[in-house]
Amino acid sequence: MHESDPLSVTFAALADPTRRAILARLATGEASVTDLAEPFAMTQPAISKHLRVLERAGLIERGRQAQYRPRRLRAEPLRTAADWIEMYRQHWEVSLGRLDDVLWDLQADEREGAER
Amino acid sequence: MNTTRIDRGSTDTTTIYSDDGDLVFERTFDAPRTLVWRAFTDPEIVPRWWGKRDSTTTVTEMDVRPGGRWRYVSSAPGRDDVVFFGEYLEVDAPSGFRWTFNFETEFGPMGGPESHTFVEVDGRTTVRSVGHMGSVEAIDGALATGMVEGAIETWDRLAEILAEI
Repeated sequence: MHESDPLSVTFAALADPTRRAILARLATGEASVTDLAEPFAMTQPAISKHLRVLERAGLIERGRQAQYRPRRLRAEPLRTAADWIEMYRQHWEVSLGRLDDVLWDLQADEREGAER
Repeated sequence: MNTTRIDRGSTDTTTIYSDDGDLVFERTFDAPRTLVWRAFTDPEIVPRWWGKRDSTTTVTEMDVRPGGRWRYVSSAPGRDDVVFFGEYLEVDAPSGFRWTFNFETEFGPMGGPESHTFVEVDGRTTVRSVGHMGSVEAIDGALATGMVEGAIETWDRLAEILAEI
């Protein structure tokens, strides 16, 4: 997938265990950067870097308060990624089933042609 | 046995699994591979099996050679048309081809490279279709959130699932 499309950005953001842990934490409610950094053996700048990746992917957003800007989860990109994979999975599952019938028909046509 | 293989809802007839960032579909057909090749590359035959049964597929472009483009429009009652499109990357008749597989979504085109290989044994042909989805974590993350469908605002449930992956 191209790095530029929104889905690839979501996938890339999800591909890191720390970022998934951050999302899991935010799924329980909004949290400050300090709160988010606490469970990890990581410096605040390292956490901020992960937060920037999540923010760019649209998976989290910042609260409005000027001083304390808690991060919170945005679910829409996750749902889009899920929908896309599910659509893709269904497309091939269904199409391969139909292909089975078509191959059967094509061979029946061939047999009929040979008998004629 | 490949330990990175994770089943993704195989059925009686089709094996579906992820392997790292690939989503793989395997199915064996009771037909020689020359016929399977035709079914994938003949614009008259593709509409007979592409997509859901209630949909109608129109092949508007199909230039089966490296660099050639393809474009299928899928119509069905009650929804907007879905355009599938891409470019052939490698073509090796009748053993398979690689192309880019995209479709239009509300966020613009999405997709990636996909390969189809056809292996014939005793007159039966196994089709193996592999789509590149990025990473296994991406597939896990996406499918896990798909399972909470509709209840995504219930952060507690999402939290449980995110913690498991």
